[in-house]
Amino acid sequence: MNSLPPLIPVVASTIGYHFEALFWYIMVVCTLGGLGVYAALLYFCVAYRRGTTTGSTPRILGSHRLELAWTIIPTIIFFSFFGWGAVVYTKAMHPPQDAMEIFVIGKQWMWKAQYPNGQRVIIGGNPRNMTEAERKSIGKLVLPVDRPVRITMISEDVIHDFGVPAFRMKMDVLPGRYTTTWYHPTKTGEFHIFCDQYCGTWHSLMVGKIAVVGQQEFDEWLGGLGSYQGSEQPVDGSKAFSGRQLFLKLQCIKCHSADPNAAAPVLEGLYGRRVPMKGGGAEYADAEYIKQSILKPRLKVAQGWEPIMPSYEGQVTPDDLDDLVAYIRSLKPGTTPNRTDRMSPPVGAPTVRSEKKE
Amino acid sequence: MTTAVTTAGPKIAPVPPEPPPAEPNYLNVSYSLWSWLTTVDHKRIGLLYLISISVFFVAGGVAAGVVRLNLLSPDGAFVNEDTYNRAFTGHGVLMLFFFLIPAVPGVLGNFLIPMMIGAKDLAFPKLNLASWYVFMVGAGFGVWALLAGGIDTGWTLYPPYSSRSSTSNVIPGVFGVFISGFSSIMTGLNIMVTVHKMRAPGMTWGRLPLFVWSLYATSLIQLLGTPVVAITTVLLMVERVAGIGIFDPMIGGDPVLFQHLFWFYSHPAVYIMILPGMGVISEVLTCFSRKNIFGYHAVAWSSMGIAVVGFLLWAHHMFVAGISFYSALLFSFLSMLVAVPSAIKVFNWTGTLYRGSITFQAPMLFGLGFVVLFVIGGLTGLFLATLGTDIHLHDTYFVVAHFHFVMVGGMVLGYMAGIHFWWPKMFGVMYSDWWSRVAAAIIIVGFFLTFVPQFVLGYHGMPRRYPNYPAEFQVYNVMSTAGASILGLGYLLPAFYLPLSLVFGKKAGANPWSATGLEWVSPSPPPLFNFDEANMPVVVCGPYEYALGVDQLGRGLPPGPGLGEANDPASKSEAPAAPGPMKKETEVVG
Repeated sequence: MNSLPPLIPVVASTIGYHFEALFWYIMVVCTLGGLGVYAALLYFCVAYRRGTTTGSTPRILGSHRLELAWTIIPTIIFFSFFGWGAVVYTKAMHPPQDAMEIFVIGKQWMWKAQYPNGQRVIIGGNPRNMTEAERKSIGKLVLPVDRPVRITMISEDVIHDFGVPAFRMKMDVLPGRYTTTWYHPTKTGEFHIFCDQYCGTWHSLMVGKIAVVGQQEFDEWLGGLGSYQGSEQPVDGSKAFSGRQLFLKLQCIKCHSADPNAAAPVLEGLYGRRVPMKGGGAEYADAEYIKQSILKPRLKVAQGWEPIMPSYEGQVTPDDLDDLVAYIRSLKPGTTPNRTDRMSPPVGAPTVRSEKKE
Repeated sequence: MTTAVTTAGPKIAPVPPEPPPAEPNYLNVSYSLWSWLTTVDHKRIGLLYLISISVFFVAGGVAAGVVRLNLLSPDGAFVNEDTYNRAFTGHGVLMLFFFLIPAVPGVLGNFLIPMMIGAKDLAFPKLNLASWYVFMVGAGFGVWALLAGGIDTGWTLYPPYSSRSSTSNVIPGVFGVFISGFSSIMTGLNIMVTVHKMRAPGMTWGRLPLFVWSLYATSLIQLLGTPVVAITTVLLMVERVAGIGIFDPMIGGDPVLFQHLFWFYSHPAVYIMILPGMGVISEVLTCFSRKNIFGYHAVAWSSMGIAVVGFLLWAHHMFVAGISFYSALLFSFLSMLVAVPSAIKVFNWTGTLYRGSITFQAPMLFGLGFVVLFVIGGLTGLFLATLGTDIHLHDTYFVVAHFHFVMVGGMVLGYMAGIHFWWPKMFGVMYSDWWSRVAAAIIIVGFFLTFVPQFVLGYHGMPRRYPNYPAEFQVYNVMSTAGASILGLGYLLPAFYLPLSLVFGKKAGANPWSATGLEWVSPSPPPLFNFDEANMPVVVCGPYEYALGVDQLGRGLPPGPGLGEANDPASKSEAPAAPGPMKKETEVVG
């Protein structure tokens, strides 16, 4: 069992600070009021207990002055809560004009996000309830720090709720209607996403992670190069994902597999490494080297391998090459596909499995 | 304005002799099961309700036990997600629709309203019996839904989950709620008409006990609100069975519409649950502090204020549900307004204790517990009514804790206070003083330990209805479960000493608490028609003349609980004086 979490949980957005200020204002005022009532109750219960009194009591019917006082003063205090609360709510419900837009789709029991450049990522859900490809695509919702983002949300089935406690924000996700929420993250780090509206059996597993990263990391990730989401497979819609599709389509996998009897080296963790060359010397495996190896494979052959690879010149466009580089760059140990893998269906579109369920 | 303080002079009204035990009384007039099942006596029907809601309370409590035990571990301690979802739904449906809503109106209201206003029975005795049968039919559907495997929609039944997605027994469960709603309407109508038409001579509106006022306000909500939930549940069933699109956007409906309709009833419904409890507290605090209620009119009208304003704030359950920005502002503003009458009540109860002569028998302990817990329950409601804080706290354990502070800390303790206060009247016996005080103390302490950690959990963002949760929340969940086991123990005690008192309890007189209400005029247990046919009560004064030492008939009060003993200052203060015009000294302060 863990020790006690901090008194005030981490605050990671501008609205979070507004929430905390308001929350503690109400807390202090209510605590004072409540303790006042408790003090009076305790004092009366002790001072006027039967043992110290005669049993004969004064006939006190009330006091208009007191009634007025304890009607008007609480009303004013409550309205101060309302006013401040309305100010915070106004901020929370109106995203700034310059916010970057990200789409989020909720379904039983999965969250999917799509970035402006088409990159799609599953940001959480119940893995037991997913296809193999979906499971491998579970990543994080990567957001840039210190930049407002607007989240536009819709549900594929029942009502969900996209809540991020660290941002002190939440909003229901409805079927058939878009709702929006927005954040201005102020801290880097990883934060919980919870589904806060009961949505069925695995409601409590409809959770995910937000990763707030620096602007540079974010750009790199959005450019399809980085893999900060921590998903096993490149994120759908990213350059690396297209590269993976090509890698399978062009049959690269037939030789560059993780099989011990493979005819070509496995490419996991290749990017940036120094590769010893057949016949002496070594090369840094950067984008230039990888592109050259695809177009003119027999020019520089890695030590210990036969020069059997055909040239792909004319078969791949420069864009394809970029995608393949991004994919190879994203390949982490243990993530090379099986030789029998087919191209995975795009993540995010309704899947065959979920249609069958309807 | 000034505070009028009138000190009672020598006790002027003579104490009436103890009335002879009623032969037969309503309990022993007949013994057959048939006579109970066909009774039209409001007291017997009250007991029928008492038995049935006690069963549902136990069942709901078991479901709560499953929920709390399972939360001991972040991945669920012993049941799977489906079972957990059915357990919390069962807990919610049973406790709300089959315990809290009928508890005080069905049991104490049925039993006491006619006696308090000096009537022989409720206005429509057969309707009253019908309401119990309708309730039991509704409950039968609820039990069917449970036995067939339960419902997993949560008590809020939000579509399209409940109409399209859930594979559980939604129809029988919802149908049970639909049917039992009619029982609620019947009881509300009955009480309302009774209060209007059957008050004893002299029982003016300004002399009604505050319990009657609060049940009158409750009845207003039951009459006007329950039909809306009936319609809503019918629409839900129609959509689920026939696929007619009302709430499901896939077939042309609007899911937010359901929430509006549902909360239009279910928000006032929480006042159906809490207002009767408030009424009980007004009776108990005055009696055990020997004081007039502070601000009778303020307390009475605040009940009506809550009942009326309570209809105008349903959408504060929907601030993040996708409603319009401006309606959120409006409903937050109105929600602040309903907090005011609740605050007024608390201040007046506190003022009632001022310069009292307070004893701490079980009803008083439960009553004080009510005030203490209701203060927290009410104040935490402000966090949820405030827009800026509700965004984060909505649908977290903060809501769960707030709701339980009001409903359990408030209503259940109010109900316990009422049961303990009127138990000697209902059965003519007194339960164990010591055990009842111990039970009250355990329940209040256990309650705090259970629900205070949940506020912290909610503030940290733990969503409600989560059998799996991040490990950092485990500490508070374990604390809460530990508290719940103490609370459960506290609830077990009355299940022993109350029934045992029926056999072994000391005989209680007509007025064991030395209280002023008309219900204490009849012998305990009361005769079949409450009051002596030839001697119907004529009310001469307001309900809480403890300072003067007279009941509502203007007769002196017998020695109170623990009084009449030599060492008690109250009993030897004054000897009863000769009858005559009431004298009082009035001093003016403030």
